Amino acid sequence: MAILEEPIKGTKAIKNYINGEWVDSKGQIVEVVNPATGKVIGECPISTKEEINAAVQAAKEACPDWRRTTPVARSRYLFRLKDLLEEYFEEVSRIQTMEHGKTIDESRGETRRGIENVEVGCGIPTLMQGYYSEDIATGIDEYLIPTPLGVFGIIGPFNFPFMIPLWSAPYALATGNTIVIKPSSEVPLSQTRLAELAEEAGFPPGVWNVVHGGRTVVNGMLEHKDIVGITFVGSTPTGRDVIYKKCGETGKRVIAQCGAKNFIVIMPDCNVPATIASLMTSFFGNAGQRCLSGANLLIVGDDNTFYKNFLDQVCDMTSKIKVGYGLDEMIQMGPVRDKDKKANIIRYIESGIQEGAKLILDGRKPKIVGDYPDTCFLGPTVFENVSPSMKIGKEEIFGPVMSVMRAKNLDEAIEICNANPFGNGDAIFTRSGRDARYFLYNVESGNVGINIGIVAPMAFFPFSGMKDSFYGVLHTQGKEAVRFFTESKVIIQRWF
Amino acid sequence: MGISTCSGAISLSRELENESAKFYEELSKRFEKDKDLFLTFAKENGKYITQIERAYYGVITDAIEGCFAFDLNPEDYQFKAVPSKDANYSDVLKDALMIEERILNFYKVAAEQSKHLMADIPRSFTLVAKKRNERIPTLKALLDQAK
Repeated sequence: MAILEEPIKGTKAIKNYINGEWVDSKGQIVEVVNPATGKVIGECPISTKEEINAAVQAAKEACPDWRRTTPVARSRYLFRLKDLLEEYFEEVSRIQTMEHGKTIDESRGETRRGIENVEVGCGIPTLMQGYYSEDIATGIDEYLIPTPLGVFGIIGPFNFPFMIPLWSAPYALATGNTIVIKPSSEVPLSQTRLAELAEEAGFPPGVWNVVHGGRTVVNGMLEHKDIVGITFVGSTPTGRDVIYKKCGETGKRVIAQCGAKNFIVIMPDCNVPATIASLMTSFFGNAGQRCLSGANLLIVGDDNTFYKNFLDQVCDMTSKIKVGYGLDEMIQMGPVRDKDKKANIIRYIESGIQEGAKLILDGRKPKIVGDYPDTCFLGPTVFENVSPSMKIGKEEIFGPVMSVMRAKNLDEAIEICNANPFGNGDAIFTRSGRDARYFLYNVESGNVGINIGIVAPMAFFPFSGMKDSFYGVLHTQGKEAVRFFTESKVIIQRWF
Repeated sequence: MGISTCSGAISLSRELENESAKFYEELSKRFEKDKDLFLTFAKENGKYITQIERAYYGVITDAIEGCFAFDLNPEDYQFKAVPSKDANYSDVLKDALMIEERILNFYKVAAEQSKHLMADIPRSFTLVAKKRNERIPTLKALLDQAK
């Protein structure tokens, strides 16, 4: 089976997309490197304050016309975008593999989930309807109209470069707002392609803008008086201490989806083969670089035979994972995004060893399928005897590392889950409905899985999160996103 | 190397359909008598590819076990797509039956292994398996006549 053809040949010079024009940046240029091959595939600008200001100005000027475009007409732009995304599905997916490293199945899954958000946004004529009460007093009626707010900033992370901005963009646009997207400068190519398709779909100039860069662009968004709200996905320190704080100071709406340390609780009555298959995706899918990845495997009960058999099977399947370039269809796990991230993960592995956890599968020197530099590759790693107080047991590693812990019973397991400051996506594997309900009722986590390893909500549900994993009130996706991107205008009327 | 990924399994199904279509196209050139039937088979193969890819692209998501869904050995399903030059009609019909049985077996195994994925993928494998199964009595009848 051949390696799939790369859609990007040579190095793509990336431009900003402002007011319907592709504009060169005056900022410094950074290289975008394919983490599997080590080849430079793009040059991304770190845009200036003037450039983010120009994008916000264009978005502001486009607002009145876009608001007057009817919801039905706005949804038709999204329908056209959806058609184009289906047409270029494979190209967009392969770009993600090239810029990020994930496998082609994972990239296609990301593309599909992005499209699903566009599809939900297409339903805006219904989703955006208000409501009406006749005769709240004699001859007086009251009603509510959801109205757009203005310009929104969307700040994307590196781990799902294509999909995550689409948790916000379709809803912001469909409700009549305009947007400025700042993709991660590490992975700007799929967002550039998305903007090209948005242009082809015919969005009017200024409605959809993309400004590449780093802190200057983020700060420019946070400080800009004409940006009314921000959606952000990234680390907890940035989300909590920078984005959420600054939005509070400047009176902006905010959704800050942050870090995670997810627990996967294994009950002794689980369906073992199905559970183990699910754990592979949970812990090692996307090379562990997702906020819904399993991080701690918490095995419940004092049955040592079950524990040993279960862990042996986990290690057996884990050790067979094929690591390599994601465009090779046989590959099950790609590299991590860059060498600094790899070094950080290795530091965590070393800290686990130092703190006394037992390393039972070491991924530091992986066997790579194909002839690729090992710069960004890691194999799956499994630790046993991890305690919740160890660094590898409590902090987000964001890599393919499984930390195995034990709990005497379900109550203790829930206590351990809840003691962790994060609350993004915990799951239980069991055949007992009683235990499953008890778990979901008591666990402090925004997304909860019952026999599901990756608790990724569909586009028509909010992508939830609690505690240190989320700062804000409403979430991205679905009806909550529609609420976030609209103000409730309430009218009370009487006619004399 | 064995196939574990969805992408790999879909590519294998595409390869099997394309190769067997080539085989039937060759038969249609060499055996005029049943030309229409062989060309119909070749055309159907193209539809099966579309059907399976549509199911896959429609439901693929990063949240299911896409990279850990299968345990397939491609060698179990390989066949020679070009009938030998001196093969008579009986020989090529036997080859056709062998090909159909191998591909049928692939779809059955793939459907079984992917049954925990979203329903559309195993369903499309099962539907294609059912369609392919219908070819076997037709080919057997032709073989009986040719003997």
